[in-house]
Amino acid sequence: MRLFETKQLGEMAPATKIVVYGLLGLWTLIVLFPLYWVVVTSLKLPIDVANGPVYLPFVDYWPSLHAWKYIFVDIGLDTFRPYLNSVIVAVASTCLAMAIGSLAAYGLSRFSFRPRLVTVIVFILGIAGAIVIVARFGVDWRLAVAAALALIIIASRALQKAPSPHLSNSDVLFWMISQRILPPVVAAIPIYVMFQQLGMLDTHAALIVTYTTVNLPIVVWLMHDFFMSIPRDLEESAELDGASRIRIFVEIILPLALPGLIATALLVLILAWNEYLLALFLSTARAQTIPLLVSAQNATRGPQWWYMSVLIIIMILPVILLTLVLQRFIAKGLLLGAVKG
Amino acid sequence: MTVSLKKVAKSFGSVKVLHDLDLEVAEGEFLVLLGASGSGKTTALRMIAGLEPVTSGVITIAGRDVTNVLPKNRDVAMVFQSYALYPHKTVAENIGYPLKLRGLGRAERDAAIREVADQVRLGALLDRYPRQLSGGQRQRVALARAMVRRPKVFLMDEPLSNLDAKLRGHMRVELKHMQNTLGITTIYVTHDQIEAMTLAHRVALLEDGKLMQLDTPRTIYNDPANLFVAGFIGSPPMNMIRGVLEDGSFVKRGVRISTAVNGSRVNVILGVRPEDGNIVAEDTGALEGNVFATELIGDHTLVTVSTAEDSVTVKASKDFQARVGQRVGIALTPGRIFLFDAANGQRIR
Repeated sequence: MRLFETKQLGEMAPATKIVVYGLLGLWTLIVLFPLYWVVVTSLKLPIDVANGPVYLPFVDYWPSLHAWKYIFVDIGLDTFRPYLNSVIVAVASTCLAMAIGSLAAYGLSRFSFRPRLVTVIVFILGIAGAIVIVARFGVDWRLAVAAALALIIIASRALQKAPSPHLSNSDVLFWMISQRILPPVVAAIPIYVMFQQLGMLDTHAALIVTYTTVNLPIVVWLMHDFFMSIPRDLEESAELDGASRIRIFVEIILPLALPGLIATALLVLILAWNEYLLALFLSTARAQTIPLLVSAQNATRGPQWWYMSVLIIIMILPVILLTLVLQRFIAKGLLLGAVKG
Repeated sequence: MTVSLKKVAKSFGSVKVLHDLDLEVAEGEFLVLLGASGSGKTTALRMIAGLEPVTSGVITIAGRDVTNVLPKNRDVAMVFQSYALYPHKTVAENIGYPLKLRGLGRAERDAAIREVADQVRLGALLDRYPRQLSGGQRQRVALARAMVRRPKVFLMDEPLSNLDAKLRGHMRVELKHMQNTLGITTIYVTHDQIEAMTLAHRVALLEDGKLMQLDTPRTIYNDPANLFVAGFIGSPPMNMIRGVLEDGSFVKRGVRISTAVNGSRVNVILGVRPEDGNIVAEDTGALEGNVFATELIGDHTLVTVSTAEDSVTVKASKDFQARVGQRVGIALTPGRIFLFDAANGQRIR
């Protein structure tokens, strides 16, 4: 009985094969159709769009490059600048989030943290108190922070003997991922006000910092899993072979975590590349990113489908190319043969 | 090089896993740490390697106190149970990694890799990755990586346990020969008494973090210090019969066996190994009982006899035959009878 074993396509009955391939083909059509629609729409004149749903260039309508000319030539610089902004912001925030996040994840996967709940509560109360005092009574913030830190240290030392539950690594991890539970729109206004007060609205830095922060929990969460799957024995073996901690991380851990690093980086890069809501709040002109430009095509003159299509194509193209290039790294089962006989 | 542990103890929180362990390993000695899982044998090995901090006590290697020295500065090599080969490095890179970390040049490294690889017959596989090797080949890569830098001490954590039975027997012989040739002090952890008996110069038997006996395999087998050692070593295990000691004789329900011990005690256990008993005719042996089962092993037959309250297994010749329920006697070889105090398990001599 092989009731619960997956069969290879090759060993299926011809009728089953037809059904399976039929379903797969149908699904491929469903997935690819929107892309096709975008491509054909980018080649239509406004009149062809208005004439209703037609899909075959040269048959239903005569293709035109007018939209492509408009985006690349007529408003060329206005396309190029947001595009460059998107590249800068997405790449920089991805690099930052990957660097900080994977180090944090490695730490969480290898060392056991046991902060006492009392200490954490004292810390939060202290910082909150300092903020209230600065806001209400206009005390100099440096003074308030210094006083708060001193109080935190004294209080946590005094409470050292008090019985208190410990937090563990899984609590830290959950706290991090819980930052993604709130819908971003809730945080958008406070973030806007913060950067407004700092005079950093409409800058690359504001977007990079925000995206890095928003993506950090995802990086930590995913990379933690990858690091956990690397056997400890390998590190201990390298340690006995004479390697330092840094060399172990660089020569043993990183190469083995590479598929995970690439997959995570790709995901985070795509999230940053496609991000719309926070960019809408934080950038107005100079730092505007490409998703904003796409939505801007639905402006006073009504939706400009043809321009939008061109922008969508050039926006998704690099992501598709990157995925194709990096796929072989992600799929590679590098850990095979590390341990076990 | 010599290794010595002085009153080394280890606790995880409030759980004490190793109690004041004293060990002296001589230059070139093959010492086996034997014990069931949870006996503290692997913890002891990891502390010698420096992978586990010592709670109290002193560890010295070649006379130097290494208790608080980093693993990489102890000059020991370890073979892990899982082999711990670097999956992204070829066989040659795996073997050469310790040398690379020591800053050896490429040419020197290649020569050393070649030499070691030939010793463990890996010469043809140097460009393969670990995933392309069989279990036995991976094992040899792990050995070669440990050998290549001529460490002061070899540490091995159940290196053969992932191999199938046939290969294990083969690798055991190879390992023994290699250790003998290289003459490097080796500390070897296993739960397999056959590995311990065959490989070791001396065996340290651990139980619940305490050293039960430390001696040559021969002495451990022929002269066990206590009930635990007597029961752990030997397959099938030693027969144990509860009774009392009266004027130097073991007494139980009409059975009276004279022993080499004088005096009287209430609570004793008599131990006798299967090969030290002989099936004899009814009413002529020291013990009497009915045949419960016979098992032909090949070169001998195991006969299990149920006596009044116990079950005694005896090794008989391969031609031995008896029907189940047949009444037989068991004669015991004089001088091969052990007596233990049932309360504390200590040998009564």
